[in-house]
Amino acid sequence: MDFTLSKEHEMARSLFREFAEKEVKPLAIEVDETEEFPKETVAKMAKAGFMGIPIPKEYGGQGCDVLTYAICVEELAKVCGTTAVIVSAHTSLCCDPILTYGTEEQKQKYLPDLASGKKIGAFGLTEPGAGTDAQGQQTKAVLEGDEWVLNGSKIFITNGKEADVYVIFAITGMIEKRGRMTKEISAFIVEKGTPGFTFGTKEKKMGIRGSSTYELIFTDCRIPKENMLGQQGKGFGIAMHTLDGGRIGIAAQALGIGEGALDRTIAYVQERKQFGRAIGAFQNTQFQLADMATKAQAAQYMVYKAACTKDQYTKDHKTSYNVEAAMAKLYAAEMAMEVTTKAVQLHGGYGYTREYEVERMMRDAKITEIYEGTSEVQRMVISANLLK
Amino acid sequence: MNLEEYKGVFVFAQQVDNKVSGIALELIGEGKRLAEKLSTEVTAVLVGSGVKDLADELAAYGADKVIVVDDPELKEYRTEPYAHALASVIDKYKPEILLVGATAIGRDLGPRVSARVHTGLTADCTSLEIGDFPINPIPGKEQKHNQLLMTRPAFGGNTIATIACPDFRPQMATVRPGVMQKLEKKEGAKAVVEEFNPGFTPDSKYVEIVEIVKNITDTVDIMDAKILVSGGRGVGSPENFKLLDDLAEAIGGTVSCSRAVVDAGWKSKDLQVGQTGKTVRPSVYFAIGISGAIQHLAGMEESDIIVAINKDETAPIFDVADYGVVGDLNKIVPMLTEQIKAAVANK
Repeated sequence: MDFTLSKEHEMARSLFREFAEKEVKPLAIEVDETEEFPKETVAKMAKAGFMGIPIPKEYGGQGCDVLTYAICVEELAKVCGTTAVIVSAHTSLCCDPILTYGTEEQKQKYLPDLASGKKIGAFGLTEPGAGTDAQGQQTKAVLEGDEWVLNGSKIFITNGKEADVYVIFAITGMIEKRGRMTKEISAFIVEKGTPGFTFGTKEKKMGIRGSSTYELIFTDCRIPKENMLGQQGKGFGIAMHTLDGGRIGIAAQALGIGEGALDRTIAYVQERKQFGRAIGAFQNTQFQLADMATKAQAAQYMVYKAACTKDQYTKDHKTSYNVEAAMAKLYAAEMAMEVTTKAVQLHGGYGYTREYEVERMMRDAKITEIYEGTSEVQRMVISANLLK
Repeated sequence: MNLEEYKGVFVFAQQVDNKVSGIALELIGEGKRLAEKLSTEVTAVLVGSGVKDLADELAAYGADKVIVVDDPELKEYRTEPYAHALASVIDKYKPEILLVGATAIGRDLGPRVSARVHTGLTADCTSLEIGDFPINPIPGKEQKHNQLLMTRPAFGGNTIATIACPDFRPQMATVRPGVMQKLEKKEGAKAVVEEFNPGFTPDSKYVEIVEIVKNITDTVDIMDAKILVSGGRGVGSPENFKLLDDLAEAIGGTVSCSRAVVDAGWKSKDLQVGQTGKTVRPSVYFAIGISGAIQHLAGMEESDIIVAINKDETAPIFDVADYGVVGDLNKIVPMLTEQIKAAVANK
């Protein structure tokens, strides 16, 4: 067992960190204030190859492992939670299912543009009545001749409206399962601009305000028959497996947010003086920092382990990583929430102002306990595995 | 109080601007039915100024007798002279039952009169019967026969109460408009018309009417509306809301909408029903082209009656709807509007 990162990973990290500090950090406040999608940053990330890190080179990606991708999301999240989730949703939720379940034609058609960042990806599963209970889908797809006709809507879709390629889930029929009729869910690739595919409202969020979160509306939206992703009726499995991977991305985002807040707090408590000395000289501050750093370190190992387990799956297609991913996301998200809250506290009144940025990190942290499966869902996944 | 002295079913024949209100005819119809069970007659009490001519209309709808209280002081409805008129009629004619419409006027007048003659009043009744009280015999308690059993919704419609007034007369009720049936009009029917004027002496209790404003408000708060015609994304376009406007006008309702409609910019936010909009509880809620996401249902599921029109039969709105139509709203809504218009015209 070796806890040191390889030279390649260290090099990749310094590249990501340099980019984050130079390109992302200066814009983070503005992105949050204006709630505008950082198009230019995304274009720069595309140029630097950040949009296709774990995609094989044959499909135009960087051919790196999942750990490298997780480190990228982590470094971006240290300075801007919004930028991190744009990369994460694009890579884990759109590129990954196409890579895993797509036909050779689908991979050839979509992956090169996605991996190069020429096109952006999104994932449409959640509906008003189907959040944690993803099986409660209402969106329908009916085969008419050579086309699937989609009707329904999806909400809270990250990269919505900005994305060009969407992996969408819809009901394609009813099937009998253990004597009961249940919904048969299938996955589809839908392109922006398809007639009948429009966008509803942009959500006004507490945090990750620059990431564009939209409602997708399908009204008699016709897509070619060959845009079904994977086999008919296998959509639920595809969604769940995709989310297992996505959780590593969100865990890395949470990890980065927590570490970013910790970094700023360490710097702040050494500068800020009260009662004639730096507040870092008070034991309360020291113990708080010790707890924060310990939890961040624990989270980092969990995130990296989950990433490495998924890398193993990429090689043997056998190793399961869903429990590691669920544990990493659960722990990292709760760490992020706790650490950012403490960071604001240690900043005192200044921490509550928008100028000091830790309040933004606290707002950004909360969503990591909710999206790509709530903390409660992660506990369901973990305990189901313990008790099987 | 000698209960035996009190005879006959009386109804307050509300008129406004010397036109008989619909509720008066409904009450005569219901009064007639009750009177037959008691083998007695129905008497309309017509109060106003220059209203004698309206007696024939009351007769045509079934009044056997009309008592007219005609006085210039009664030109417009005011609590004091009207309560004096009706209470005086009771003192003189001693009716067994007195029905008043639960209109704005009737709800003001009924309690004043009942307090003045010291009897019981049940407000806003939806059903009236003649029967025994207590309904089931209770040992040791006298069961009285031929009592007026007045039924009304209570606690915001959550329970139904049947109330009687066994020891005092008249048995008074205000009755919800639109619940009772008026009789078929019999042209040329005549009633015994009797004039009675207790005399009016204006005093400080007489309200002075400064101005009467009659207008139809354009903007109604959707939280106050009794009938809401609510549209969702399925309506398709802002222009298409015309269909809902027509329906709302025909049925006397107000148009509201779902969040999707507000987001699309078709309607203003103050018309939005739901978790982040307004919570409404109308008597009737039409959900047209609304799928029924939980965020919307949270704002309207307490409505008394929910009518859903949606092309998708699996839409969750049908889980809460009392009545549902699966189909194209562009066809169904105009047909519904036509039917309602026809029904209103025949009324």
